[in-house]
Amino acid sequence: MTLMDNRIHFASAPVSLSRRRFVQGLAAAAATGLTIQFRLAEGQPVPDLPAMIKRNPNLNAWVRIAPDGAVTVFTGRVEIGQGCLTAMLQIAAEELDVAPGRITLVSGDTAQTPDEGVTSGSFSMKLGGTALGHACADARGTLVRAAAEAWKVDASTLKVEDGSIIGPSGARMHYGEAASRVSLTRPVDPAARRKPASSQRIIGSSYPRVDIPAKVFGQPVFIHDLRPEGMLFGAIARPPAYAARVVSVDLAPIKAMPGVVEVVRDGSFLGVIARREEQARAAAEKLAAAARWDVGPALFAGKGVFEHLLNAPAEVKVIHETRGGALDVVSIRHKAEYRRAFQAHASIGASCALAQCADGKLTVWSHTQGPFSLRAHLAKALRTPEVSIRVIHAQGAGCYGHNGADDVALDAALLARAVAGRPVRVQWSHEEEMAWEPWGSAMIVRLEAGVAGDGRLTAWNHDVWSFPHSTRPGPSGGMEGCNLRSAWYLAEPLKASKPRDGALPNGAAGRNAVPIYAAASQRVTTHFLAEMPIRTSALRTLGGFFNAVSAEMFLDELAAMSGHDPVSFRLKNVRDERLVAVLSKAVEMSGWTPTPVSAGRKLAREMLGMGVGLSRYKNQDSYVAVVAEVSVDTASGAVRVLRMWSATDTGRSINPDGVINQIEGGMVQAASWTLLESGRFDVGIMKAVDYADYPIIDFTGSPKIQSALIDRPEMPPLGAGEGSQAPAGAAIANAIFAATGRRITEIPFTRERVLAALQA
Amino acid sequence: MTELFVNGRKVRVEVPPGTRLIYVLRNDLALNGPKLGCARGQCGACTIHLDGIAARSCQISIEAVQGRSITTLEGLGTPDRPHPVQAAFIAEQALQCGYCTNGMIMQAAALIAAKPSPSEAEVSAMMNANLCRCGCQPRVVRAVMKAAGRTL
Ligand code: FES
Ligand code: FES
Repeated sequence: MTLMDNRIHFASAPVSLSRRRFVQGLAAAAATGLTIQFRLAEGQPVPDLPAMIKRNPNLNAWVRIAPDGAVTVFTGRVEIGQGCLTAMLQIAAEELDVAPGRITLVSGDTAQTPDEGVTSGSFSMKLGGTALGHACADARGTLVRAAAEAWKVDASTLKVEDGSIIGPSGARMHYGEAASRVSLTRPVDPAARRKPASSQRIIGSSYPRVDIPAKVFGQPVFIHDLRPEGMLFGAIARPPAYAARVVSVDLAPIKAMPGVVEVVRDGSFLGVIARREEQARAAAEKLAAAARWDVGPALFAGKGVFEHLLNAPAEVKVIHETRGGALDVVSIRHKAEYRRAFQAHASIGASCALAQCADGKLTVWSHTQGPFSLRAHLAKALRTPEVSIRVIHAQGAGCYGHNGADDVALDAALLARAVAGRPVRVQWSHEEEMAWEPWGSAMIVRLEAGVAGDGRLTAWNHDVWSFPHSTRPGPSGGMEGCNLRSAWYLAEPLKASKPRDGALPNGAAGRNAVPIYAAASQRVTTHFLAEMPIRTSALRTLGGFFNAVSAEMFLDELAAMSGHDPVSFRLKNVRDERLVAVLSKAVEMSGWTPTPVSAGRKLAREMLGMGVGLSRYKNQDSYVAVVAEVSVDTASGAVRVLRMWSATDTGRSINPDGVINQIEGGMVQAASWTLLESGRFDVGIMKAVDYADYPIIDFTGSPKIQSALIDRPEMPPLGAGEGSQAPAGAAIANAIFAATGRRITEIPFTRERVLAALQA
Repeated sequence: MTELFVNGRKVRVEVPPGTRLIYVLRNDLALNGPKLGCARGQCGACTIHLDGIAARSCQISIEAVQGRSITTLEGLGTPDRPHPVQAAFIAEQALQCGYCTNGMIMQAAALIAAKPSPSEAEVSAMMNANLCRCGCQPRVVRAVMKAAGRTL
């Protein structure tokens, strides 16, 4: 069963006719590799190995060639709906000169693939792709040299055609044969050389996503589609509050319910295993209701989260500082505060896992972003050695960060232990996911800046208050504690690892808090609250979205105060050419002629406005500018995003259509965050648990989008999957500001908040 | 024993009374098309066709579909004979994770059958109760328009 051992083979992937022709064209282009230099010449300085290869140095950890020439490549990165596997396949096909359809790709399996940590933070192409590309280039060069030696010719005279090496007289040697003459079981060669961008044919093409046809025809793709022989269904009985613990519970009546095979109690962890999925859910609900719970203390001592953020003990740290300009000898000095609610991942499909305990071994199928870290934390929770656990990645619904994927794997494992030998699948309910997954942190940002008479920023201070943004399971041998939720509820509970804030340059609470604008004097301070009454973790971009949105809102206020339009004010203060390029492109596409925003203007019934957001994700990845056009109904407070334009520079893009898909998806998601999403909680638990209570954007709410990609084939690839959220949110916020002359300072911009700001 | 008519075939299942159709399709009949999303009729991931009309299989009990014709994504088209909406979703790469895709395609296919040449605004309106968290709405609209063009 290919899905169960996670060997992904795309040779037979069905594609539509026009696509197929396109693909064959590409395959033909790839099939004849150009003659290129495989290895740096002696004496040339040897570059540093890619980071992921340093972690997994053996060549055969990345590429294997079977005696019959079959090619298998391995990646520790996993598919989370971002097109990662397709891009990896493109990279391997390009560097190996093998048609993509003939390559088998194995992804995210602790028994088979390299350990690349967690697939997150837009690192896949930058780190994983760079490593795989280097390893494949090494393999190709090695095989070609083996043939050259056999034929006693110069390697540079040889070509490769779809996995066959072609000699000067037309002699052919397929990769399998060449591989039998050399060993790929050796460290990757730092001097191996990848193809220059100018001779790449598959990298840089919009190769169709290899996983899409199966998803369109209902073939088994998802973890939810695994149905091994004898599988049972599990469900968890959830406490009424996060701090709640079981006082007493009678399991007997639940055991007697239809279809129930086993009821599990370990401290306050309560679960049910049943023959049918709906029977397991019904029994778990009954069990939760039947238990007597001590609900524990109230969240935030019954106060609001923002009050808590500002007043609870925090680690205060200046994470970035430059000196030069002054705040007081300026023509304009301005201060503002912005707030964002808790926001959820809210996947369409709730988290799911399948676990089986057999012969002292535990196998877990999971849509985790970090199979090796999950294994490490499962071992802690189950008090069993890591070697007895295998985690195999299988796809889930899009996760957008750290949702319940890892937690549900422990739930399934705890239940599977109770019915040894039988596989148990657990899929959380949507309500369970919303209440029990880690949320994106509520945040506060305060900004203060000075502008000189010529419109240049002199000083810029950014303070951010935040809960943790990364409480994922960590690597083996890493921090103390266990970050799988149910471990905290066991009879012998484990503690969560002590959360730490991520340091720059990536940053977590402080991600994107360093301004992209050239104020001489800059200071960024994080106020990090490690204690989190509502558990928080990575939501796509971590703190980056809100830090950058706040800064962009603030910048437009400064522009308005100094009589500048938003674009010329940015141009005055931005130094990076690539930022200028995306800004100019997005503005040009939108046809917008920006004018200075007049604050507090007279209201009409419907007001239209355009605004811009500019960002460089993590100050080191993709450059993205977004222009948005909104209409504001001043009677109801309703905001509609009518259209958006984006321009992106992601360096060398492996798959341009894949990048655009991510960028535009991120813009729609950001519109949803910005206008609609807010986690409502009561004294003990999140209450916004269905789509009525936690609405997300729909079709009529989604803007029309036009996007441009500024390709820079000569530049290294930059992370793109999270590049557009902040500029999109900022563009919407600034368009509302331009339309109405009023600033709404708390995200989401609900009708009530918009009305309140208009009436103020 | 309950008899169902699924994707043109008669099948028999033995399930407790009142069982929701989604569980029968996925777990008893091993169909992968319909997905379990919210289980509350709010997201559309579980959409199927009931006598050609889009319906949410998480909201329908097994008794309610007696004698009616059920079509799932698997029955809509195949790689060799894709439904125009399926072909258009591939051509437009109109998804990311693909968890909502079943519902999108089934809803769109029913929409086009009822209204062969919808305007873009009509497509948005008629797809509105199908949710996509990956933000693929603009692409889905493009794919549906493309499919509608083909069926004209
Ligand atoms: S699962 Fe049926 S509508 Fe959401
Ligand atoms: S493609 Fe992921 S939910 Fe729609």
